[in-house]
Amino acid sequence: MKRLVSVLLMIGLLMGLTACGVSQKETANQLTIWHDKEDAVIAALEQALKQAVPELEIVFEKKTSLTDSLKLVGNDPSAAPDLFIFAHDKIGVFAEMGILAPIQPFLEDGALDQFLPMTIQAASYKGTLYQLPLYFETLLFMYNRRYMTEADVPETTEALLAYMEENTGRGRYGFVEQHSTAYYSAAWIHGFGGSIIDENGTPFPDEQAVMDALNYHARFVALMPGETEYSTVNTLFLEGKADSTIGGPWMVPSARAANIDLGIAPMPTIEATGKALAPFSGVQGIHVLKFAAEKKADAVKKLLSALTAPEIGIDLALASGCAPANEECYTDERVAGDELVQAMRTTAQIAVPMPNIPEMDVMWTVVSNLLTNVNLSHKDVAESFVAAKVQAEQLIGAMK
Amino acid sequence: MRNRKTDARKAYLWSSPSLLLIGLMVVFPIVYTAYISLTNMNVYHWFDFTIVGLDNYIRALFVFDSGFLSALLATVLWTVVNMALQLVIAFTLVSLLNVPKLRLRRLYKTLLMFPWAMPGYVSILLWKTGMFNTQFGLLNQWLTKLGLETVRWLSSSVSAFLCCTVVNLWLALPFMIMIMDGAMQSIDRSYFESAILDGASWLERTRYITIPAISPIIAPAVIITVFTTFKQFDVVYLLTQQAGAKTGSGFHTILTYAYENAFITNNYGYSSAISIIIFLLLLVFSARYQMREENR
Repeated sequence: MKRLVSVLLMIGLLMGLTACGVSQKETANQLTIWHDKEDAVIAALEQALKQAVPELEIVFEKKTSLTDSLKLVGNDPSAAPDLFIFAHDKIGVFAEMGILAPIQPFLEDGALDQFLPMTIQAASYKGTLYQLPLYFETLLFMYNRRYMTEADVPETTEALLAYMEENTGRGRYGFVEQHSTAYYSAAWIHGFGGSIIDENGTPFPDEQAVMDALNYHARFVALMPGETEYSTVNTLFLEGKADSTIGGPWMVPSARAANIDLGIAPMPTIEATGKALAPFSGVQGIHVLKFAAEKKADAVKKLLSALTAPEIGIDLALASGCAPANEECYTDERVAGDELVQAMRTTAQIAVPMPNIPEMDVMWTVVSNLLTNVNLSHKDVAESFVAAKVQAEQLIGAMK
Repeated sequence: MRNRKTDARKAYLWSSPSLLLIGLMVVFPIVYTAYISLTNMNVYHWFDFTIVGLDNYIRALFVFDSGFLSALLATVLWTVVNMALQLVIAFTLVSLLNVPKLRLRRLYKTLLMFPWAMPGYVSILLWKTGMFNTQFGLLNQWLTKLGLETVRWLSSSVSAFLCCTVVNLWLALPFMIMIMDGAMQSIDRSYFESAILDGASWLERTRYITIPAISPIIAPAVIITVFTTFKQFDVVYLLTQQAGAKTGSGFHTILTYAYENAFITNNYGYSSAISIIIFLLLLVFSARYQMREENR
């Protein structure tokens, strides 16, 4: 009896192990889409697609570590999805890996004519369009009307600095931001005409602009908390201990829940350069995997065609305050009346799409180190910059 | 003779599912990493990678620069300090737990095991925001109440090292306490009674009875802890080096250093070579320690 049980257990174990590799057969009308988005966005998409393409069977699967999973199974049709929704900044990585299909062949002529140019630029890599943009996010200047009146809202960074000097102290801050993270500080670098990396993969193409931005920004950092993480900055603003901040649209629901009288204003302009702080923008869109483009071309074409319709962008904007990539959506009265969406649309004119080349992956760390050295360890800007440039070149070299 | 052979075959047969699982979970990843380290697998050759021999190992040596050497020294210091403190604190606490007629002994033991029950990630982030945060941390709240300036606990290398040590002790002590408590309870009480009759002090009883008796029992736990401490990543990374939440500390262990200087490149061949070198480094330490133990 014991032997029988042991043999049965062994067989069960082996069957369990082999079953991991077995997959269900899919039909040409079934499309699986991976995403990491909030429920409201996906519910709006599901609802809209049910009406637009009822003949397609679309399954949305939420993945928390979507990019890592794609790196593992991106070329395995039995394990990978057919499409995925993600920000545009990984396009270069996936295109170089060879798992993405260009989407232009699936779109009708003129389908993207009404899309914001910034979103099309973000979705293209080496001249090829790899993503159909759905909506985008940018950082915004937010303030608490209870403490910062309309008249106080700074139009220039010098005015912001003066406000900070007047209103910072005794546990209160005039302005807070994640000052030593690359995503947030990029706005200051862009405001000085600099950039973190160019399209050829050269780090800090305008060195002087970056150093000028760091020196200038340090004056503001001195009046902010010595922490740069999201939770501290977010909590200070939500608890009413900070009058203003630069944050993403994802902060808005929690600010409203915390009864903050939230105001949104244009980014302040740097007097010395005449340019506004220009934050990064992240374009969320749908990508097609190569094997789905080959095996399920008709279904993919129908889906993408449905997703270019402005109605979907309107639904997304109404459901979760997304700023649609399709400019036609903004003619809708309800979208036009949404302060948050309109603010992002305005910022889109100055926002810089996050670089989507693979080299940007290492630059997040390089720039964070540089900012930490300058802002938190108070090291010399020029020396820290040289060290960062060396590290950037080493890491970019190590990628190949 | 034939029976013995048949028995051996049967033993292997019955053990085969477990051996297969161990092979899949332990041996395969190491062998596969070694294989990848000999290839050019990176973003540009993700699926079409080829064997490039020892190229990655030659390039990896450039990562082992002065920064890596100082990280290695910091890791050795980190391991020594943590192990010394763990052994002393665990021994003191276990000695107190074994005081005769101690009331609520089980409650104390349960409380001491509590850090073990919490996921490490949660514990570390709780310490980071709940204790060390400049704005909301308990330590700075106390300093403010006392009218003192707040301190950025994680901003310098030395203070970050100390804070990381405190958190690591919080996470690691339950294991050492449990093993040491079991070892101490296994000592025959008659040794202590005889020693007391002979007039031995607490210090003498500890030196000549307790420590020699528990040493062989806790040795495996010490070896395990030495290696988990040496290859510590979570505590140091999450407290001081996390992307988007760096604190300004320059304290790196070899793993956080390798992560920042190789693993983020998406070059799996190159990163695997570095992993294998670190793995061999640990293997050499382990072998030396094992040999020393066996010679005893």
